[in-house]
Amino acid sequence: MSLEILDPTHEGDSGSFALASRLSVLEGTTVGIISNGKKNTIPFFDSFEDELKTTYGVAEVVRTIKSNYSAPADAHLVEEAENWDAVVAGIGD
Amino acid sequence: MSLASKRYEVEDILAAQEFYHSRKWTDGLPVVPPTSDAVQACLDWAMLPAEHLIGIEPVRERVITAEKLAINAVMAGCLPMHFPLVVATVTAMLQEPFLVHGATASTGGCAVFVVINGPVRQEVGMSGSFNALGSSDRATTVIGRTVRLVLCNLLDVRPGEIDRSTLGHPGKLSYCIAEDEEDCPWQSLSENRGIPRDASAVTVMAAGAPRQLMNEWTTKPEEILDTFCAEIKANLRHYSIYPGNYAIVIPPQLRQHFKDAGWSRRDIQEYVFENARILRREWADVGKGNVVGGRGDQEYPALPDPEHLLVIAAGGPAGGFGAVIPPWLGHKSKAVTVAVGACLDCEPTAD
Repeated sequence: MSLEILDPTHEGDSGSFALASRLSVLEGTTVGIISNGKKNTIPFFDSFEDELKTTYGVAEVVRTIKSNYSAPADAHLVEEAENWDAVVAGIGD
Repeated sequence: MSLASKRYEVEDILAAQEFYHSRKWTDGLPVVPPTSDAVQACLDWAMLPAEHLIGIEPVRERVITAEKLAINAVMAGCLPMHFPLVVATVTAMLQEPFLVHGATASTGGCAVFVVINGPVRQEVGMSGSFNALGSSDRATTVIGRTVRLVLCNLLDVRPGEIDRSTLGHPGKLSYCIAEDEEDCPWQSLSENRGIPRDASAVTVMAAGAPRQLMNEWTTKPEEILDTFCAEIKANLRHYSIYPGNYAIVIPPQLRQHFKDAGWSRRDIQEYVFENARILRREWADVGKGNVVGGRGDQEYPALPDPEHLLVIAAGGPAGGFGAVIPPWLGHKSKAVTVAVGACLDCEPTAD
């Protein structure tokens, strides 16, 4: 005899979201990094910032740090990000 | 039937196992097939409509309904009478101070430690005695297991997906205990956290694995607690220096000494608050000298205040064994206590 069973998952019912539009070039842009702030991210993002500027011609890199590295970015950082051309979610450990 | 979940037809119970395992919808152990009848029985017991909103995970805005919760509870082995406790547990986990996303996604690899208080413990056959931290009874085992399945199936907290744990620990399979209130000289944990004594309640804490200790060589409360404090200080040195909730589990043999000396739960909390602390320079003793910096004399208490210590009465009658259950990561996640049957977001009725 067959058995009818139910789906235990969320069935993809999470809120919809759209990816941000991609930049065609990085040259002359402002790129923000929202770092989780863990200690070892500092030298990593120092190198990353240097790479963005020297290799890709990024005009400005804005470095920010979340107040709680295990929680979403603070509202004021999300607001500030609207002034940037691109944002990097800076997860490091 | 008003259940909205997608239905699948499988040949038999064994086929159901492979069906769920192959989709990563289990924890690797066999599951009870969640039929409509079994799921509806859980909802009926708790008097909840299928579409009842248990809560919304605040970071990813994931909606959790009573129906989806009941499906996972059945799979974990819950009986209908266990379901109100599952509802309370997940309700507590979804409160913002618990930070369920951060706690369950972290490389730190914590588990959700669940403590049950109140009359419901005896109604559903829970035991806070023998083997308290090792699946002492059916009810605590399946309720703790439901947490894992809910995280997997409703929040995508699977290893390598949202769950980025480096190691994790065995409590992630099930980490639920009942407090031994009948043999306890103090008010219960939930009463201590503001719930009336005759109400049942659930407390959740994002927690590391239990660290067992033993002291059968004294009857003095201070000396017994010095052993607990030493274990907490070891955690501060070896794992994380940040203060937060710690739980200590005290068995009957040690509780008797506190009772004889007239020590209250508050006395225990204050003693541990005062004594479980280290200096930052102690990190140099355990290979972490590189992060001491110029702050070697800075003191780090394990607890931000005495109330952050969860004192739990549990364990078998013989043995001077206790346990320290450390926090996932200091104060980033707070322990949350919820009364069973409470609706935290409900509007008060108009008189």
